[in-house]
Amino acid sequence: MTAAASPELDERVDEQLDGRAVRAWQTVVWNDPVNLMSYVVYVFRTHFGYSREKATTLMLHVHEDGQAVVAEGAREQMELHARAMHDYGLWATVRKVGG
Amino acid sequence: MTPGAVLLDLTRAEAVHLSMLVRDFLVVLDGSPADDPAVARLVPPAYPDDEAASADFRSLTEADLLAGRRADAETVIDALGPVDAAMLDSQAAHEVVPLAVDAAQLPAWLRTLTALRLVLASRIGITDEDAQPVDDPRYGIYEWLASRLDQLVETATGRD
Repeated sequence: MTAAASPELDERVDEQLDGRAVRAWQTVVWNDPVNLMSYVVYVFRTHFGYSREKATTLMLHVHEDGQAVVAEGAREQMELHARAMHDYGLWATVRKVGG
Repeated sequence: MTPGAVLLDLTRAEAVHLSMLVRDFLVVLDGSPADDPAVARLVPPAYPDDEAASADFRSLTEADLLAGRRADAETVIDALGPVDAAMLDSQAAHEVVPLAVDAAQLPAWLRTLTALRLVLASRIGITDEDAQPVDDPRYGIYEWLASRLDQLVETATGRD
C-alpha cells in the first residue's frame, strides 16, 4: 500500500489546514461584578449545550481568572457567539488565537 | 400550569413594583448607548482593542440586541398583568401570588432581570464584586432582583 499522492491523504491535509484556519478565533467571556454564577452556568449550558460540569468549570474560570475562552473557530461563528452572550447580558469579546 | 413552567413567588406588591421597573427600563432603552453607560453595557464592544472592528460588529448587532431587550421586557410586563397602584396600600399587597413562567418565556425573564441589574449596577456604580452600597435604596432592588433571578435559574435547571 502506498500513501503517495492519494486523494484521501490530500483531503486529510486540506482538512488539517482548514482546521487550523477555522480555529483561529476565540470568543472570550469576561468577569463582571453583576452577573450571577448560577445564571452564567445556565447561559453556557443553554447556548453552547455544554454539560453542567463543563459550564461550571468555564464559569469558575471567568470568575477566578477574569476571563475564559468559551468557543474557538471561524471568526464569523465567534461573532455569533459573542452576540448571543451579549443577548444574555454577558460581556464577551472576539479575538484571534495568540493575538 | 404549562409543562416545564417554573413558579416565581411574588407578592402582589412585588409584581406591581417589578412591572413599573420594567416599564422604566423600556424608557431607558430609548436612550442611546453613546449617551448612557447603562445602555452601552447592554451592547458592549466585541473588539476592545480594535475600534473599527467593534464599530462594524456594533452596526450589525446593536439594533437587534436592543430590540430583543424590548421584546423580552414586553413579555415580562404582559406576564405580570395590569398595574394596580391602588392595591399597594391594601392588605392584599402582601399576599404571595406564585407566577408561572413557562419554558418559552423563561429566557425573556432571565435576560430581563439580568438587564435590569446591569442598568441598576451602572446607575449605582457597582464596579466590583465587593461593592455594597446599602444606603442606596436601589441597591435593595438590585439584590432583590438577584434573589428572584437565582430562584428562577435554580428552579428551572435544578431538575436536569
